[in-house]
Amino acid sequence: MTTSDSSSSSSSSSANDFADRNPSTDPGTNSDRVQSQLESMNLSEPSGVSDGSPTDDDDEEVASANGIEGGEEIEALPRAGEHPVEMEAGEEPPSPTSSGYDGERGSSGGASSTYKADEDEIREANVDADTASQHEAAWLPGKRHVDEDDASLSWRKRKKHFFILSNSGKPIYSRYGDEHKLAGFSATLQAIISFVENGGDRVNLVKAGKHQVVFLVKGPIYLVCISCTDETYEYLRGQLDLLYGQMIVILTKSIDRCFEKNAKFDMTPLLGGTDAVFSSLVHSFSWNPATFLHAYTCLPLPYASRKATGTVLQDVCASGVLFALLMCRHKVVSLAGAQKASLHPDDLLLLSNFVMSSESFRQVLNILPIYKQTSESFSPICLPRYNPQAFLHAYVHFFDDDTYVILLTTRSDAFYHLKDGRVRIEAVLVKSNILTTVQRSIAEGGLRVEDLPIDRRLRQKPSSTNNQGQDSTEVSVGTGGPFGLWHFMYRSVYLDQYVSSEFSPPVTSHRQQKSLYRAYQKLYASMHEKGLGPHKTQYRRDENYTLLCWVTPDFELYAAFDPLADKAMAIKICNQVCQRVKEVENEVFLQGASPFSW
Amino acid sequence: MASMSSGDESLRLCVFDLRRGQTEGQELDKILFFHPPELDVSTQLSVTGLSEGLITFTRLFSPEAACEVIEAERHSHVFFEAETDIWMVMVVEKNKDTGAIWRIDALRGMLKEVHSLFVMFHGSVRALLEKEPTGGLTRAQLYPFITDYLSTFQKRSRSEDWCCDLFVGKKLQLPNFRETTLSERGTVQMLTLARDTALEVQSLVQVLDSCAGNLQCLSMILFQDLLVSTTLSPDDTVNLFTFAVMRLTSQALLSSDASSWSHLRKGTGSSETSSRSTSGSIDSLHHVIRPLQNDKWKKGKDGFLVTDIWGLETGGSPDPAIPIVWLQETQERVYLLAYQYKSLTLLLLLPETDIVNGGLSAVKQQVIEQASLRIMKIEEKISRGWGGENAYHVKGYRYLVVDTDLEVSRASPSGKVATLAKESLLALNKLREEVDLEKSRAKRQERDLEICIRAKNNAWVIARVSRDKELYMALEKASDTLLDATDAVGRFSNRYCSGAFLMD
Repeated sequence: MTTSDSSSSSSSSSANDFADRNPSTDPGTNSDRVQSQLESMNLSEPSGVSDGSPTDDDDEEVASANGIEGGEEIEALPRAGEHPVEMEAGEEPPSPTSSGYDGERGSSGGASSTYKADEDEIREANVDADTASQHEAAWLPGKRHVDEDDASLSWRKRKKHFFILSNSGKPIYSRYGDEHKLAGFSATLQAIISFVENGGDRVNLVKAGKHQVVFLVKGPIYLVCISCTDETYEYLRGQLDLLYGQMIVILTKSIDRCFEKNAKFDMTPLLGGTDAVFSSLVHSFSWNPATFLHAYTCLPLPYASRKATGTVLQDVCASGVLFALLMCRHKVVSLAGAQKASLHPDDLLLLSNFVMSSESFRQVLNILPIYKQTSESFSPICLPRYNPQAFLHAYVHFFDDDTYVILLTTRSDAFYHLKDGRVRIEAVLVKSNILTTVQRSIAEGGLRVEDLPIDRRLRQKPSSTNNQGQDSTEVSVGTGGPFGLWHFMYRSVYLDQYVSSEFSPPVTSHRQQKSLYRAYQKLYASMHEKGLGPHKTQYRRDENYTLLCWVTPDFELYAAFDPLADKAMAIKICNQVCQRVKEVENEVFLQGASPFSW
Repeated sequence: MASMSSGDESLRLCVFDLRRGQTEGQELDKILFFHPPELDVSTQLSVTGLSEGLITFTRLFSPEAACEVIEAERHSHVFFEAETDIWMVMVVEKNKDTGAIWRIDALRGMLKEVHSLFVMFHGSVRALLEKEPTGGLTRAQLYPFITDYLSTFQKRSRSEDWCCDLFVGKKLQLPNFRETTLSERGTVQMLTLARDTALEVQSLVQVLDSCAGNLQCLSMILFQDLLVSTTLSPDDTVNLFTFAVMRLTSQALLSSDASSWSHLRKGTGSSETSSRSTSGSIDSLHHVIRPLQNDKWKKGKDGFLVTDIWGLETGGSPDPAIPIVWLQETQERVYLLAYQYKSLTLLLLLPETDIVNGGLSAVKQQVIEQASLRIMKIEEKISRGWGGENAYHVKGYRYLVVDTDLEVSRASPSGKVATLAKESLLALNKLREEVDLEKSRAKRQERDLEICIRAKNNAWVIARVSRDKELYMALEKASDTLLDATDAVGRFSNRYCSGAFLMD
């Protein structure tokens, strides 16, 4: 495999190297009795601890522990573009010793995280970038709290755990704590699953108070989430599905065969150093709507710029490339695919997460200027929805901190061919000044609720049923958009794309944004109820929001208003939002060139 | 479990005590009740083993609230910790094709109900276990009690067309989404009285109170299956109301007379006792009372209801013994006297400790002398004004209103609910599940929620929660917009709920 930043071979080669490298970590138990498992764990009630209940907010708990006050969160914030801190934060001094894919990941225990901080740690978004950068040194890469295990109270109180284990009970991944120390706990999870399985059934969910334990069985791989985050079961299960997908991205489904050969096969070495990839994905569950909308989003761009990019990507695809994607962080600038090849939005999500969170893809990074020469990588990668059985080969090149191209091919010897493709793409980007346009778009942000044109007639019309004693103009002042509109997301069904508004006051802090997304997730799950759904309309008001949702064959709209917003006005505003999106659809969506015709 | 023979898959119910059977080999001692009883011991143990395992497991993360439900592909396991370390677990099979679609809170409501009734008649399970540590007495009481409950609780709906025998073959059919979506177990249904009638009822209550002389006499009055008045606490009212509607009201007596039901039930009952090899000897050791046994209540010549469930009066009297129940609020044992005139049923509760020999007969005599005329008049008056089974139907609406504080509910008549499309009911059932979740998260006083969903079939399903009050509704007018639907709810709320559900 030819590569300049050889991040290629190890995962495929180690995938063929299936020896049980670490037999000592074998929990040695395959008990089918839950009870005995539980007893063997030496469970103790959290006695002697004043407060046995989960800390109310994990954010706070961890934040105070690390002395981190927060950080600027992702591109959605209007000003994020001025300080592309998301990138800076993830950056680590290049390790002089690391060069290979596996070696690098393995040696540093997850070289970096491309996001600034785990969801636990991000608090207020309004911390300026200077403060944020001061804290960089304190941030732990990838996995945190490795010293914990199931005996520690702090571990039990984490708001959301993810576990991956094998069907023999061997730990593969745990979000918190050292996998090897969790062998006993892992065996218990396995015992629960197999106990129910032995009864001819399959366990999906266990509920206890605010906690949900969600199970997902994928052949020999078991995935479990233990959460008290108030997310829906459907979404938590979707998160496990994505977590599994991320594993497939790295290893392909051929991993199943290892378990067929050897039930006690230890997978952990194969995933060595990929903690950052998983923790970045887990983090995205709380900020990236793509994780529950199953759609991708585009960077807003002038139609001509996107078209120029699309044309050259299409050309490159015509020369034997399966998919060509130009991305800006997790947003699509443009993409193209070979004939009949289609890319699922979930694959896109997992692919960009993998690239963004693996430091090896972006070795030589310099914060601006844009045209600095940066690295290129060639790496085996699997798209679980496209073909979970086989590796593709990905050529990745970062043009600057934010913008990168991914070229995917089935051929393992195509490095120079893809490199040529990248050169052609780069030529167009330079010629049309696309990278500058991209940076400007990042700086400017996307749609804003404040910019919605307010229909004068609406403003003048007294609201008939508003019993809050406020006149309608008052409602619209200082609270985001007109008539209490705070935020919206619009999903085009045919395009598999969504566009969401920038966050506006009062939804400014990371916590508020996360809370709004969770409200959306509930709404989404409620509308898309399996068997019954999709419903057509939903109006939902609680103490935090008024939410409106429309699902039609063409689009889905999710809108959040002030909880006191007037119902009739809210409906009219939703119509205007749809109208507005239609007006700018050429800028916010990637039109036409779609390989997404599935 | 898959290997089990067909027919017994649909329901499993067990009661177990986590404090018992701690040593290996003694696990069976945990189990205080298991349905179906003929299930082999190892399967019974696997149910309690899994339950106990998950209770322990979930306490790791959630020490304050252990396992509440296990949702598996084919079954739901519903948990209820009835008393500290006394758990009830119900396992139901899910099957969309047969309509076996459940709302977990509705199923848990059944567990709560049967436990509350048990405590009312027998006192707490823990107290029984302490009284007789081998558990024999507890098992001997629990088995017939829960079996009687399971085998007959649908009887109150026998008059309705959807009803079917609870045991089809040997299969239990629990109330599914069709019955539970627009109803709320654990609440009472009230009769709305005209003002003058209400005054007369009030004075009757005072007369009843005076019938016991200096003793405190609590009372409850029902018209058909509706509550007219009560002087008991809400919890005790719910328990006695539930029992009265099951066994005592005019309709309950009528239906128990008329059916071939008893043969079916007796058949099942006997097979259950025989399958418990030990139960025969236990029964003879312990004085087993079956308060929920069907067909055991008759109206006597004097208007008082009699039963031989509690055996005969002590001291060689030929009169049947008067039942004694526990009141939750006062933790007091009281005699239960039931008097019936046509559709009116009166329950009188007198403290056991204060009644001396012959005291009850005197009270009865007083009721007949002092109150029977008033009772007659009130019955007549209510009957005249009574709108029949559709009295609380509101045209165009299918609704349920619940006051969780007062434990009162009112709903569209089941005959009208049955006219809803299956999709609408399922959508509303699902919405209720969502609301159940939200309710468990929010503090009671802060609850404020309004959800309106236009389902695929264009029906509106609506939930409105405001503090202690809940409203659920299905509107099947396809042309309605969201604002129309909201207006409709608002009008309903103003007219029938004193505006409790403000719609903005």
